[in-house]
Amino acid sequence: MLEIKNLKVVIGDTEILRGLSLSVNAGEVHAIMGPNGSGKSTLALVIAGHTDYKVSGGTVRYKGQNLLDLEPEERAREGIFLGFQYPVEIPGVNNAYLLKAAVNAKRKYQGLDEIDAFEFLKLAKEKMALLDMDTKFLNRGVNEGFSGGEKKRNEILQMAMLEPSLAILDETDSGLDIDALRAVAKGINALRSPDRAIILVTHYQRLLDYITPDYVHVLSEGRIVRSGDESLALQLEEKGYDWIREAASA
Amino acid sequence: MNAATPSPDALRAAIAGLPTTHHEDWKYTDLSFITDIGNQWLDQGASVRSVGELPDAAKKIQKKIDADWLIIGNGVVDDESLAAIDQPGIAVTRIDPANDEQAIDSPLADLNTALLPDRLLIHVSVDAKQARPIGLLIVDNADSATSMSAARVKIELDAGSHTSIIEFHTSSGDEDHYANSIVSVKLGDHSSIDYVRIQDRDRRHCQTGHLAVSMGRDSRFDHCVFDLGGHLIRNDVHIDIAKPGASASFNGIYLAGNAQHIDNHTRVDHRVGPADSRQEYRGILSGNARCVWNGKAVVHVGADGTDAEQANHNLLLSEKAEINAKPELEIYAEDVKCSHGTTIGQLDEAALFYLQTRGLSRQQAKEILTRAFAQAIVSKSPIASMREALAEMISTKLTDIVEGAPE
Repeated sequence: MLEIKNLKVVIGDTEILRGLSLSVNAGEVHAIMGPNGSGKSTLALVIAGHTDYKVSGGTVRYKGQNLLDLEPEERAREGIFLGFQYPVEIPGVNNAYLLKAAVNAKRKYQGLDEIDAFEFLKLAKEKMALLDMDTKFLNRGVNEGFSGGEKKRNEILQMAMLEPSLAILDETDSGLDIDALRAVAKGINALRSPDRAIILVTHYQRLLDYITPDYVHVLSEGRIVRSGDESLALQLEEKGYDWIREAASA
Repeated sequence: MNAATPSPDALRAAIAGLPTTHHEDWKYTDLSFITDIGNQWLDQGASVRSVGELPDAAKKIQKKIDADWLIIGNGVVDDESLAAIDQPGIAVTRIDPANDEQAIDSPLADLNTALLPDRLLIHVSVDAKQARPIGLLIVDNADSATSMSAARVKIELDAGSHTSIIEFHTSSGDEDHYANSIVSVKLGDHSSIDYVRIQDRDRRHCQTGHLAVSMGRDSRFDHCVFDLGGHLIRNDVHIDIAKPGASASFNGIYLAGNAQHIDNHTRVDHRVGPADSRQEYRGILSGNARCVWNGKAVVHVGADGTDAEQANHNLLLSEKAEINAKPELEIYAEDVKCSHGTTIGQLDEAALFYLQTRGLSRQQAKEILTRAFAQAIVSKSPIASMREALAEMISTKLTDIVEGAPE
């Protein structure tokens, strides 16, 4: 589904990704871990199409096409979803309005009719129940005045409504209390499916207690320095990131 | 009633008396284009033509917004629509110029007088049940010659009464046109008015409007102004608070694209306290639009207990757009609460990217964000029944000006 080869990314004069390669297939859940500043969020934003980051080398292919040629909205309509580490507050734009516009943008792209109001509400309520979200959030401004946990649930709600092929969740676990973490993990697990890939970007192993990844990668200084199964995350938790840094520089 | 032809000498004198940009209040708004229109009109005989059949835009408004519409076409009150106004407690009559003094002393009011408009009085008594708002549909048509027109309305509310007024300006025609309106509102004690003003003129046409409000004890003035069209637009709102307990809320939005100039000058005089005034104006500018917001609050000696708030926020969608924003507070009393805030900015890139990652095009994302910015004023607007129509008009206008804005 996603094939990244030797990806190099700069912002301004600083090289953040320095030859990153990663292959993700449908049905897989990958966890990307690493210390602060290792390039995790950059990777997520580059896949989503953020224009502040310049690709200076390497290739990214998604479903057989050159992903880097596509605008952010085209990537979204092709099934890529980024769950933001810091979801943006958009006062004055109704949450339900955005959800519906997003669902319809994708449907239109797929040549489908727009979702009707009744069907939309039914679907939204169903997904919100799964995430223990009060339906009053539908009528609030997008993320406006939401707590950290509410914002992250709202991201997962959007993901559940959009049913992406590839979901990249950037630090979705940060700032969550245990109840919110469980609800978010439940939402993510419900979306695991043989035709969907999920990339979890996380600093801590905590989220992986609830979502078992198929692969764990450790990112350090812009490169994947180690890959393994879920036991790698436990090792990291125990030994800390210095262990990886030492291993990488050795 | 037949349209009166203005006296060329009086008109010439009034035009010559218009302020220039050397005057502090007119620093950013150059009226020389209006002078040109006046001179051209004089050369052509300065005759008032009938507005003819109402343009589609005006008919559409009558359908969309529920009100008793009183039509003023090319400065002439339409008798049929005047006769049709039949609400208990509301009397709309012509005023004989011989028995009417010019309420406002300014060069633009002098020009209004020289243009010999039909003068109207809307009198509201406590019997007014307020079934529907009274709508002033001010329509001008300049399709055969350059022209000028004027409207003059007095609104008087008896103690304890309430009414809703909509003032809607629209125009059509390929020739240059200038419209001058003067509206004065006198609020009796404990009376209240909801007043919405919309200006959606042809992008070639010019307008100046002066709204003067004098507030009685414990009266309430709730006003919102929407500037959507026009070439050169200047609005003056003067509020005089001479009785305690008055509460004035006046807000506005101006949307301006290429070759549009919209100037909002407000002034509130707090002569006594306690009383409060709150204003928030927002602007969305694209292309080479130029706008002005000047909000002045004067708290006179002894007006203790005044609470005055002013805010002006601007969204600049292009590098060539220009806003001159100036809050002015003059405070001569001791115990007052006054605040002001002005912001000028662009669309939030983080929010645009966020919406794009949800599958919305950059254009769509821009429109959503600008609409949200404008919606803050729509939701403050009195006469809730017309908010949806307002939001729709703004949305249409925004699509125009957002598309016109280069990246």
